[in-house]
Amino acid sequence: MLWVDKYRPRSLDKVIVHQDVAQNLKKLVSEQDCPHLLFYGPSGAGKKTLIMALLRQMFGASVEKVKVENKNWKVDAGSRTLDLELTTLSSTHHVELNPSDAGFQDRYIVQEIIKEMAKNRPIDTKGKKGFKVLVLNEVDKLSREAQHSLRRTMEKYSASCRLILCCNSSSKVTEAVRSRCLNVRINAPKEEEIVDVLEFIGRKEGLQLPSGFAARIAEKSNRSLRRAILSFETCRVQQYPFTNNQLIPAMDWEVYVLEIASDIMKEQSPKRLFQVRGKVYELLSNCIPPEIILKRLLFELLKKLDSELKHEVCHWAAYYEHRMRLGQKAIFHIEAFVAKFMSIYKGFLISTFG
Amino acid sequence: MSSDIRKWFMKHNDNKGNGNASKDKLENPEKPDKQEKSGREGQESSGRRKCSPYFDKQKIKNEKEIEEPKSETKTPIRKKLQKVEDAEDDDDFEMPSSKRKGLVEVTPNKRSKSGVGRGAAKKGIDLDESDEDDVKVKATKSTPKSAGRGRGGKAVSVATKDESDDDDAEDKDTKSQKPGGRGRGGRGTSAAAPGGGRGRGGGGGGRGGFMNFGERKDPPHKGEKEVPEGAPNCLANLTFVISGTLDSLEREEAEDLIKRHGGRITGSVSKKTNYLLCDEDIGGRKSSKAKELGTGFLTEDGLFDMIRASKPSPATAQNETKKSIEKTVASTPKSSPQQLAISKEQARISPVKNSINKGRGQSASPAKKKSQSTEHPSLSWTEKYKPKVPTDIIGNQSLVKQLHEWLVQWNEQFLNTGHKGKGKKPINAGAKKAVLLSGTPGIGKTTSAKLVSQMLGYVTVEVNASDSRGKADGKIEKGIGGSTANSIKELVSNEALSVKMDRPKHQKTVLVMDEVDGMSAGDRGGVADLIASIKISKIPIICICNDRYSQKLKSLVNHCLLLNYRKPTKQQMAKRLAQIANAEGLKADEIALEELAERVNGDMRMALNQLQYMSLSKSVIKYDDIRQRLLSSSKDEDISPFTAVDKLFGFNAGKLGIDERVNLSMSDPDLVPLIIQENYVNYKPSSAGRDDNGLKRMSLIARAAESIADGDIINVQIRRYRQWQLSQSSSLSSCIIPAALLHGQREILEQGERNFNRFGGWLGRNSTMGKNYRLLDDLHVHLLAARESNLGRTTLRLDYLTLLLKNLTDPLRMLPKDEAVEKVVEFMDSYSISQEDFDAIVEISKFQGHPNPLEGILPAVKAALTKAYNKGSKSRVIRTADLITLPGLKKAPKKRIAAMLEPADDGLEGKADEAENEEGNSSDEELDDKNDGGKAVQLDLQNLSSKGIQVQMDLKGAEKTSGKKTGSGRGKRGASEVVEKGAGRGSGSAAKRKK
Repeated sequence: MLWVDKYRPRSLDKVIVHQDVAQNLKKLVSEQDCPHLLFYGPSGAGKKTLIMALLRQMFGASVEKVKVENKNWKVDAGSRTLDLELTTLSSTHHVELNPSDAGFQDRYIVQEIIKEMAKNRPIDTKGKKGFKVLVLNEVDKLSREAQHSLRRTMEKYSASCRLILCCNSSSKVTEAVRSRCLNVRINAPKEEEIVDVLEFIGRKEGLQLPSGFAARIAEKSNRSLRRAILSFETCRVQQYPFTNNQLIPAMDWEVYVLEIASDIMKEQSPKRLFQVRGKVYELLSNCIPPEIILKRLLFELLKKLDSELKHEVCHWAAYYEHRMRLGQKAIFHIEAFVAKFMSIYKGFLISTFG
Repeated sequence: MSSDIRKWFMKHNDNKGNGNASKDKLENPEKPDKQEKSGREGQESSGRRKCSPYFDKQKIKNEKEIEEPKSETKTPIRKKLQKVEDAEDDDDFEMPSSKRKGLVEVTPNKRSKSGVGRGAAKKGIDLDESDEDDVKVKATKSTPKSAGRGRGGKAVSVATKDESDDDDAEDKDTKSQKPGGRGRGGRGTSAAAPGGGRGRGGGGGGRGGFMNFGERKDPPHKGEKEVPEGAPNCLANLTFVISGTLDSLEREEAEDLIKRHGGRITGSVSKKTNYLLCDEDIGGRKSSKAKELGTGFLTEDGLFDMIRASKPSPATAQNETKKSIEKTVASTPKSSPQQLAISKEQARISPVKNSINKGRGQSASPAKKKSQSTEHPSLSWTEKYKPKVPTDIIGNQSLVKQLHEWLVQWNEQFLNTGHKGKGKKPINAGAKKAVLLSGTPGIGKTTSAKLVSQMLGYVTVEVNASDSRGKADGKIEKGIGGSTANSIKELVSNEALSVKMDRPKHQKTVLVMDEVDGMSAGDRGGVADLIASIKISKIPIICICNDRYSQKLKSLVNHCLLLNYRKPTKQQMAKRLAQIANAEGLKADEIALEELAERVNGDMRMALNQLQYMSLSKSVIKYDDIRQRLLSSSKDEDISPFTAVDKLFGFNAGKLGIDERVNLSMSDPDLVPLIIQENYVNYKPSSAGRDDNGLKRMSLIARAAESIADGDIINVQIRRYRQWQLSQSSSLSSCIIPAALLHGQREILEQGERNFNRFGGWLGRNSTMGKNYRLLDDLHVHLLAARESNLGRTTLRLDYLTLLLKNLTDPLRMLPKDEAVEKVVEFMDSYSISQEDFDAIVEISKFQGHPNPLEGILPAVKAALTKAYNKGSKSRVIRTADLITLPGLKKAPKKRIAAMLEPADDGLEGKADEAENEEGNSSDEELDDKNDGGKAVQLDLQNLSSKGIQVQMDLKGAEKTSGKKTGSGRGKRGASEVVEKGAGRGSGSAAKRKK
């Protein structure tokens, strides 16, 4: 088993980072009722871990007995019937799903599943916890319609069902939904915290950690605990006794984005643009989300860019990312960004160096 | 470049000269030539005189010599082609010699006339001659062409006939020239022998020589020259091929110009080609072919000269008659030399005929027209000129014949009237009882169906979309009493009566179901009903449709003999149109009619309608009329997205109107944007002008890219929110703006790429992406099913995958085989990664230009891994999960595998029991994590129980089954076979299932 999973804290008491949040959550749940929750924060901060621990706190160990199911819904949407299919993870007490996987018909999913849950409201013999929890991941990727439909269903069925929403950026969640939830921000762990965790794992695994090695990993991890642990283990697989100057392997796709960035910086021509398009296609078809590509590309470009251009380039990146969300064919927008960048940078080079 | 052509011309002439010299039959051609030349030179425009010194004397002379004889020498040429023996040449000459007497005289005349045809001077010579002369002009004009082509027998014989006609006529007129002409004729034959059609080339060259090649070295002067206006038909019967870029005209303009003046444009050089129009010898296929065939080269200026020369001529009237003459020529039977007398006779008649024909244009036609129009004042032409017999149908004759045969055999095949008792089998088992005619509208499907059945004495009953023909209310058998829709049934069953009455001749009926593909909402069950009718029918049924591949007709197709009508060629159509125009007293030249035929895209009916409409306002229809008329109302034609993109990005795309652009981009609103997006970086925008560092181009590209992205956003609005009113904006931003910004020359960006537009890469990439996402999904579900982690799909890809891959492949690379395999399989098991997932991980981590993740792993190790994995696979959770049938699903989902591990606690019955079990299990699990197999069994059982199947746990049975180590548990439904791994789960998990 990977260390990330092996050393994932199962209960709120055992968490190492975000202990304050965990304690607050624990107090919150120990009361009879619990509001809708919205967890947001960067990836690798521990949102999922906290949610699972919270559920365990609420319902006990039985939430960990999940069943993976490929659910089918037949939704009557006006004139036609839609067939929807989604993978859900469910236990007796909660259902977890990723509605944005259903594309732009996600709202039907949200409505259907909430109604379904409301219909067979658990009747607990012991008279407590008369509700189920619906965990929705990636709410920020939900379409606007789905978020709007969420708004009403949240209120209507609040007696039988609590929502726990989880997303990276709360700004992409509509105001209305946010105001109906208790927002919980999960910060990215500080590097020291990451180092603590890594050392904890190292102790458990009985590893010799050279001093500063954990810090280097933490630094490289972009303050994502998950990545830190994963690359820690990658290093372990690659080479064990650790040496202090050991190379910390980067993610394959990041290497590729870096390549693209240096391609762009080296030459700005239609030919290069064409090659870049091929590479971006490559990334996209390897399931790298386009927003991540664009963001990463921007970061790599910024590293090499003259400071006077940085502002403008950032502006354009944001501009095209926004448009990418409005559109559908991500490649068009990434390419437009690259073309724009090339044209700006080329103009800059010519005006500077003649 | 120009020198090339010139050289070639010269060589040409030399050849001819040699040929001439070698033949002893030659008489001194000088005299008549000179005569002519002088005459001709007088006519020649001043431009011609400017000819270069090369051509001045020799060439013109030669040229003339050659050209003249050529026209007469068709017969010999043809024969030569057939026999290819020198010796026989003489014979050949002998044979037509008597004729040639006549022919010979023609030449001077022809010469002069062809000069006339081309130039203004013609009248000077032939002024006193009446129409007959003009007739000749035309006839002769056509002859040189055929001669130049060196075409097969038919054309030649026609030509000879022409000549004989002409000769006679000329006999009268130009006797003085006779002797000279004869001599020339003799020489002509011999000259032609060596270089068949080349004479023409020489001629062309001569003409080309008048242009001052040497003086022009500038690149194309677009639009700088004045395009001449000439006599409408001054290029009649000349065939041109355009090659390369011309000096000042766009290719389309040149085509228009030639067509306007009655010339014909073909795509490739053939024997029929008279001129290859090009301004530079690009040495392409066309020019080499032209050299091979001896086709004349013509420059743009030469063309202008030709046209200009014709301008002052009042010859238009004569030109118009050309067609009628040609027709008469064509209709006269072939004449062999022996029939000379006859042909002469005919010839004598023919002028008369001609004059009549000609006259029709002027005096006769109004009368005729009037009479016709009074006869059928209101009849539309489509009705009036409907084919009367099957052979009248244009094109598709073989299909008509097939239809005919089918109908003839129908009674024998299906009725077996005579041998009822014997029960004789149909002659041809594969024969179909009905026939389905398909094809685009207006090509004569209905007509042919009607005509054929008429010819065979059938009464046609036509049922088309305007009749209701839905499913009969009652059963098929008792159709007569049913609703109106049962008219079909009635017909079909009626025949039985007639058969019994033994009077098939009076009762023979055929049912024509027109527009079967139009059977729709109102005709519920129409097609099915029709099929039923076909099955019981006692009369033949002819179905007609436009689109044979229509979804509606899928079932019908199996019951029918399929006859697919094709569009008639434009020549076929033009011929028929000319007949009709003639009959209506409408003057239209061949080129114009061909253009019409082309514009309507094979729809004869539409062509006729257009013609009739135009006849209301005009009595003479020219190429330009047709062009203008049909520019707007031309039939929609499918243009391929590639053509559309080519046009949008083309050099002269700037000239396209916005409507045209919208039309182009709408020709396929899905594909065109994709192709544009794929290719826009390849174009060097002509709007960038001088652009040394490529900055302008880059910024244009950036703008185009943004516009394309706009298009994508609009497209989302259209598709997702059904804002179809935006579709124009969509095509504007995704096609028109990028194309307008970047249109220009295409360049290649990759080595070895063909310089054509690539197909849009997005579709392929997108489907790869979809596939990979599915793979990732599977992997994700499996990982979730392993319950070791609870991660999102994106996280899996972004963070986990690298490590997973490392854990899967690194041991294989570094550790000894057995150890590595064991380790990897263990890891795979712990995350329930299947072999497919392994491949998926590898697939998703592949990057172009990066080493394959599997590099460095020996095949033997891989094989061992597969083996080891398969050995243990039966016991894996995921395996069992694969086979579980989900409630509500008919079959197990293939792609997405649902893993059911733990039953929901809200089971229906025996909940308490199970809860106990479950607790036991969970404790077990903690103890014995690895034993997935046993767990799976139990989970599965519990899962089934949650579905409502009663499950009994037979703890004692466990020992037995585990001893067997084979699958003891069998799901009652869904055939979920669960195989136990071992007895390790002694505590109570190994279970036998009973219903």
